[in-house]
Amino acid sequence: MTDLLASLETSALSTWLRESPSIWAYPAILTLHTLGLGVLVGANWMVDLRVLGVAPAIPLGVLSRAFPIMWTGFWLNAISGVLLFVSDPTKGMTTLFMWKLGIIAIGVALVLVLKRKVYGRGVEMDRASFVVKTMAALSLVIWIAAIATGRWMAYAV
Amino acid sequence: MSDAIVIWLKSTAVSHAMSSSPVLWPICEMLHFVGLALLIGAAGLIDLRLMGFLKSVPVTAMMQLRKWAALGLLINVVTGTLFFVGAPGQYINNPAWYAKLSFLLVAMINVAVFETRQGRRMLTLASGVNTPVSFKIAGAVSIGSWFLVLYFGRMLPFIGNAF
Repeated sequence: MTDLLASLETSALSTWLRESPSIWAYPAILTLHTLGLGVLVGANWMVDLRVLGVAPAIPLGVLSRAFPIMWTGFWLNAISGVLLFVSDPTKGMTTLFMWKLGIIAIGVALVLVLKRKVYGRGVEMDRASFVVKTMAALSLVIWIAAIATGRWMAYAV
Repeated sequence: MSDAIVIWLKSTAVSHAMSSSPVLWPICEMLHFVGLALLIGAAGLIDLRLMGFLKSVPVTAMMQLRKWAALGLLINVVTGTLFFVGAPGQYINNPAWYAKLSFLLVAMINVAVFETRQGRRMLTLASGVNTPVSFKIAGAVSIGSWFLVLYFGRMLPFIGNAF
């Protein structure tokens, strides 16, 4: 495992991402990761808030269209995240990062379940059940935790 | 001039707290990114509607998300000010910081112009109705300037050597 990480770290891609002075190397990847965060979490929170009763004039059915926006943000961050990991694998192999991945896995699972619960029956519920509302509240909190662990990685030694 | 401002800000208690506490700065960073997501999410959906997408939502209904965009902005103005007061020297000569503030100003002027000039017209637009060109421009300027605020914020360490 350590050998694998070491060879990853000495790879041409890793070196380029880490050491290139180009604004298109590390800074661009980091910017895309931040943009993806805003798009994924932002779209997700708007659906969560609507499910919880915020902005009731917005038909809940229309917000099914926020899901492709979320997935765009998700894939942007999955790809830019892999590249950030490649640029510094040692930093990636920490307990904190494992927490972050676990939290994101829960967040993504909640997105999938929420989508099925709210839109899966062919009928668009305009009033969400208690269970669905609980999931939406959990989703709000989970993404705060994902942001917190991700941000903390910049400070953890 | 800018030196005097930096020296004065660094002498404040807030600045001391920001630079000496090991947790205050990271916590503000987390909040800054939470505010970012809230703002992009709420303003993004409003802008998409103004640009003519998601037509089945009445414009006025989408506008109910405005206060959430405002909350995100408020969180970020407060935490952003704390960053500036905490380490003013990093920002005051940083071109990325001026670019960021400029696009923030563009976004603010855009909102102010839209609300005062088009606010009334908005009420007459029902669901399913396309938006006039002025709405589309306002939406595009808004989403574009927020993305540029994000971009230059992220570039602060790379263009101007802030952390």
